[in-house]
Order: sequence, then structure tokens, then C-alpha cells
Amino acid sequence: MSDIPHTTFLDEVAALPACGKINECIQCGVCSGSCSTATHWEYPPRKVIAMVRAGMKDELLKSNSIWFCVSCYLCTARCPRDIKPANIVHGLESIAIKEGYKPPTTTTTMYRSFAQSIVDHGRVYEFGFMLKYFLRTNPFAALKMLPMAIQLFRHGRMPLAPKQVKGKEELTTIINKMGEGGDR
Amino acid sequence: MEPRIGVYVCHCGSNIAATVDVEKVAEYARTLPAVVVSRDYKFMCSDPGQDLIKKDIRELGVNRVVVASCSPLMHEPTFRRAVQEAGLNPYYFQMANVREHCSWVTESRKEATEKARALVSAAVRRVYFHQPLESKEVPVHPDTLVVGGGIAGIQAALEIANSGHKVCLVEREPSIGGHMMQLDKTFPTLDCSACILTPKMSMVGAHPSIELLTYSEIDTVSGYVGNFRVKIRKKARYVDVDRCNGCGTCITKCPVKVDSEFDEKLSKRKAIYVPFAQAVPNVTTIDREHCTYFLKGKCRACEKFCERNAINFEQEDELIEIQVGNVILTTGYRLFDPSAIKEYGYGRLDNVLTSLEFERMVNSAGPTSGHILLKNGKEPESIAIIHCVGSRDVKYHEYCSRVCCMYGMKFAHLLLEHVQGAKVYEFYIDIRSPGKGYEEFYNRVQREGAVFFRGRPGEVTDVALTPEEKGKLIVQFEDTLVGKQRRLPVDMVVLCSGIEPQSDSQEMAHKFNISIGKEKFFTEKHPKLDPVATMTDGVFIAGCCQGPRDIPDTVAQASAAAARVLALINKGKVEIEADTAVVDEDRCSGCRVCNLLCPYNAITYIEKDKVSRINEALCKGCGTCVAGCPSGAITHRHFTNEQIDAELQGILA
Repeated sequence: MSDIPHTTFLDEVAALPACGKINECIQCGVCSGSCSTATHWEYPPRKVIAMVRAGMKDELLKSNSIWFCVSCYLCTARCPRDIKPANIVHGLESIAIKEGYKPPTTTTTMYRSFAQSIVDHGRVYEFGFMLKYFLRTNPFAALKMLPMAIQLFRHGRMPLAPKQVKGKEELTTIINKMGEGGDR
Repeated sequence: MEPRIGVYVCHCGSNIAATVDVEKVAEYARTLPAVVVSRDYKFMCSDPGQDLIKKDIRELGVNRVVVASCSPLMHEPTFRRAVQEAGLNPYYFQMANVREHCSWVTESRKEATEKARALVSAAVRRVYFHQPLESKEVPVHPDTLVVGGGIAGIQAALEIANSGHKVCLVEREPSIGGHMMQLDKTFPTLDCSACILTPKMSMVGAHPSIELLTYSEIDTVSGYVGNFRVKIRKKARYVDVDRCNGCGTCITKCPVKVDSEFDEKLSKRKAIYVPFAQAVPNVTTIDREHCTYFLKGKCRACEKFCERNAINFEQEDELIEIQVGNVILTTGYRLFDPSAIKEYGYGRLDNVLTSLEFERMVNSAGPTSGHILLKNGKEPESIAIIHCVGSRDVKYHEYCSRVCCMYGMKFAHLLLEHVQGAKVYEFYIDIRSPGKGYEEFYNRVQREGAVFFRGRPGEVTDVALTPEEKGKLIVQFEDTLVGKQRRLPVDMVVLCSGIEPQSDSQEMAHKFNISIGKEKFFTEKHPKLDPVATMTDGVFIAGCCQGPRDIPDTVAQASAAAARVLALINKGKVEIEADTAVVDEDRCSGCRVCNLLCPYNAITYIEKDKVSRINEALCKGCGTCVAGCPSGAITHRHFTNEQIDAELQGILA
């Protein structure tokens, strides 16, 4: 028997929504060549796919790689085999969270603060959401953003009080229906 | 004559016998009506196997034969021949496929044997009703039509013409030569493309057995193998080709400049022109779309200066009809247009070239006299060559274009030769170099200093992120062997565009009644064992119209197609399958439903008799008309209702 820890990880990923073509990847690298953040990734997108196929789950999910995806979808638009790397990376994020891997970035905190803002107000309340994010991560880092915050405030782009959308109740119903409402 | 049926069950070594109980099947066959003898044997297709059948026909008076063995595609002709050699009509034979349909599709001996029994029972009951049929012969017209004057068409035409038979070579451009004429060097031997092609072109031009029709297109085609009638449209070139001697005075006098198609729009030609210096035929053509006289009603400078009075503005398209026995289609390919891939910037960024543009640029007879130059007139210091552009991509073409790796590496060699100190980078996914001397060429280009990056670039951009990227084209890619995203500033980018079918390949296939595949290349009769024939007898294909291939493969295929045609010409006649459809004219209501249904245009309505009639030479025996006839007036010989009914009863028995 070989020592390659086949393939339950690959099967798991291939079963994620719109990730079924992962086996058809030819490792051409156009995803990494297109990726707008790949220079920050420990393993670039192409290698992420190779590692899934090689069953290197632990090594991959402990790395910072998947958390840097900003959903620009250039990889997916350009993939010659239509395997949708962005979907795979987001799928890996959900596996990582479910299985308790600790993300080496603050990405999940950002996602959560963002989502909470939507749940509370029906739209993004920038001031509150950024405040929450910085309080949960590194409050001092907020100071660096201060000049930009002032600019935004001056131009009326960042009101201090939150605004609610119309029909908030309906939105709450939809969110609850999705089973995401209480998951903060 | 009372039917006396012989049944022969084949072991096929162990292919059948290991799964099907052949002895039991043979034993069972003996119990069927009208069966006088039933045997099983190791290899029925062998000579002793066939002799068994012949002996029983002679000695036991067997007059119907059933062989239970493999697929009829494989050995039906073998057994029909054996039956015929013993003095029976070959159609008194039926085959039951107990290998592909039984032993090879299950491991269960019980199931396989049961199905084999059912198939044998069906064949026995069917063969009972078989009728003798005579296959017909039609003569083959000795002339051949070759469509497309690239290297494939040139090769095929010369092969046939050299045997003394007449060939009509039709080319829609003003000169023959095709894409090969545009190329600079040919991989891997680096022969000058024009130098090896032009001798063949002038042979075509001068050959007594070749009628060359350039600037002409196929209008309509009718008929069948051995007897095609083809209408050809000779487009008006407004020049009397018998008078023009190609002196070129008219070209110098013409005031209109137009982008040269031959030079991929990198240079200008005149409105009256010869596409390139070695054109065959060496006569001029007036491009009506750009000619001042046709646009504004005056000029006629060419006419004034022509000493031989060859210019004729009154000329019109001419429709001629020829009769030929066979057709070879060599209609070639079109280069993929990379402007569809926005991120590579072709058409948007300067100094991003297609491969054919680069071929013209590097050619000493080309627009820059062989100098590789940027838009600003300077020589590039660094050049990126990107492979697989439009190929191996489900968004464009899923297939590999086969030639791009090799010509991409040829470009690297030429660049290193032409541009002193050039840095050349190849961006590839996989290097595909299967061919004589191809892998060695790859090795040679590596030795010469080309740098290979494994990774399909994400984009080519002129947006600089660092001072050293300023004013350059930047290729952003992952160096996949290192696993890092990188940006490489270069001066020039060459895109290795893939091969795609001609835009009118579908229309062409329709005219000649052949099929095309998903990618719109012509489909061969069999991908391995009959790669130059098509499903339409008498129509052959060669070169890139069938799929991407390089010059050696194209030439080999063209010669093969010519050999197939010569075999038919040499034989002088073709046998037409006897299992065609026939109209019972007493029952035909003349509704013409069948005329429209027939995929082979084999049925015509006879106005005088108010009935439809089937041309047996064109009918392929597909049965569509039989099923479609509302009056039940059409019978398919060898597939009569009686025979099919008996076969079904046999299966269910």
C-alpha cells in the first residue's frame, strides 16, 4: 500500500456545491497567474487544488492560503477546464470552520462582523461593523484607518448612526429560513 | 426451394466459449424449425471454419446459413463470401452477435447462454425469409475533384495527376499555396517553407492533367460515388487570365492600398494584386470591394497601362459544371482569433502578435524583410511566447491544436537567431513533441537558451507596478514548478493561436453530404482504420479540415486519400450495397414525405408518373423513408416486415 492518504479529502471537496470538476484540473496555473492576492498565499490556488488531490488536508487547512480569497473570480472566469477554483476555496473555508481549524488570518472575524451588520440592519453599517471587527481583533489597528474614516465621514459616506432597510422583518424571515440567523 | 438451415456457433478461442455454453447453444439450434445441421467450432472465421460451411452447403444441401460469432462489422463480409463461394446467394446468410452482445457484456454463464440462444433463434427464423439480392455495379468516372489548394490539395492532386488521371483543383483564393506558403521555416528541420512548397505549386500550375481553378468556389454537388456532378463558380477577377502575363505594371499604376491578407494585414497590397511573388497562377486579380472604378465609376488606370489588354471590367462570375468520380476535400483551417481572450490583450495592446503575424514578420519576403520589430521600429530585447491560446480550453476549443508547441519552439529558435542577445520565454502547460526529431528539437531550443516557464499566464498587461515594468508588456503567471506567482516584463508577446475549422465547414459538409463533429471538423469514416474516407462513398478528406495536424501528417494523409481514389479509378466500377429501399409504385400516393426525410437525397419525385422513386446508388439503406411513408409503400430490402417480424418472434420464443 502506498502512504498517500487518499482520497476521502478529495471526495469530500468534490462533493461540495459546484466543485465536482476538481479531478479535471490540468494544473496549468492560470488560476494562480490571475489571482489578485496570490502573492500572499502560502500555497497559490493551483497548488491548493493539487494538495486537495494529494490528500494533504491538515497541511492545507492550517495554512493561510484559502483565507486570502477575495472572490474576484478571475480564476474561475479563466479556468480552461471550468473547475471553478473560487468555489473550491470557499468550500475549503467552510470545511475548515466546521472542523475547528483556527484560521491564521482575521478573515472569519471580518465575515462574521459583516454578516452581523446585515442581520441587524438589513445593510452594511460601516462604522459599527468596522468597530466590531477591530474590537474583536486588534483595536490599535483601527487607529491606522482613522484618516480614511475621517475622509469618509466628511463626504457623508460613513454616517455614525445605523440606517435600517425597509421591510426588515421580511429580511429577518428570509435569513432565519436560511438557518443563518442565530449562527453568530 | 425449401429452406435448409445450417447453424455454426463460434468459440472465438475463449472469447465466447468461456462465457457462453456454445455446445448447448448448438444443441438448441438443432431443435429449431428447418435447421438441418448445427455445429460449434473454435474459430469459424478461419479457413477450416469456413470450409465447414462450404462442405455442408455442398453435401447436406444447406441453403441458408447462420453464424453465431462476433459483430457483423467484423466478419459479415467473410462469411458472405464463403457462402457465395459455395454457390449460394450471399444474402442467404445471417449473423448472430454472441460475443459483443453476450460473452463480453456479462460474467454470468447462464445469462450469456440464454441470450445467445435467443439471438440464434432470431437469426434462424429471420434467415428463413431471406431473399436473394444482387448488388449492382456502377462505373467510376476517372476524373477527380480536389477542393482546396493548400499543401494537402496540392499533394493529393499531384499524386493522382502523376498517374495520368485528370484532376480539377479548386481554390477560392487567387493563388494556391494555402497557409504553408505563409510560414517562414518548418519545424523541426527548419526547411524554408516556401522553398519546399513552390516547386510543387509550379508543378500543379504546369501539369497537363491538372485543371487549376483558382478564385473559384463550389456551388452545388449532386450524384454519388463514381458519378458526381459539381457546379463551380469561377469568380470574376476582371482580368483575362489567358492574356495576363503577370508583368505587374497594373499593380504599380493602381492607386488604392489595401491590407494584405497574405501578410496578415502587416503590409499593404493594391486593389489589383497578386497575393505574393510566387503565386500560381501568376496573374492579377481585381479586388472589387476596394477598386476605385467599382466604387466611384472612374479610374481604370490598370486598363490604360496594360499592354496586353488583359483587364476586363465587364467580366462576370461564371458557373461551370464538371463530372467527376471522386472528391477529395482539403479545405484546411483557420487560425483562432485571440482577441476573444481579452486578458491577453491582442488587438488592444501593441506588440502582442498572433503566430501567423510573427511568421510573416520573421520571413525575409515579409513586411519587415525578416526583421523582428516592435511598433516603435526597435528590436525587442525580450519576447514571451504563450502556448495553448484558444486550445485545451473548454471556453474556446477543448482539443489540443497539436502544432503550437512545436511552432512556438521554432519561434524561440528563430528569435535567438535573428535578434542578438534576445531573451526568449516559453509559457507552456505541457510540451507536446511527438514526432520524428521533435523532442530533439525541444532539447535543441533549450540548449540555445530559451527559458521555459510551466504555467498558463493569467494575463498580459501594460499596467506597471514597478519602475522596471514601465513601458513593457507584463506577463503575470504562476511558475508552477516553483509554486509562486510572478510578473515578467517583456517587449513582445507572441500568442500561439490554435487551429480551428474554416468558418464555412458546416456549409461545405452539407454540400458534399458528409458529417462534421462537435468541433465542426469533417468526420472520417473510422477514426483509426479509415481516417481519409467519409461516410459518403467517393468523398475523401485530408489535412486540417479533418482535425489539427502538422505538414508531414497532412502530406501523408493527402497521399493516402489519393491512393484510395486511384484504387477506385483503377477498378473502374463500384459495387452498391443491395439492401436498399424500394418504392411500391402502385401504393405510392406521391405525397413526397420521403423526399424530405431522406438524409442522402436519394429519393426524387417523378412528376410524370406522380410517384417517388429511389436512386439505388445513393440509398444507404438507413430505413428512414420506410418508417416515414404514410402509405407503407416503401420496403427495405433485407429488412422486410416479414423478416423483422420473424426475428422478433425468434427472440421472444
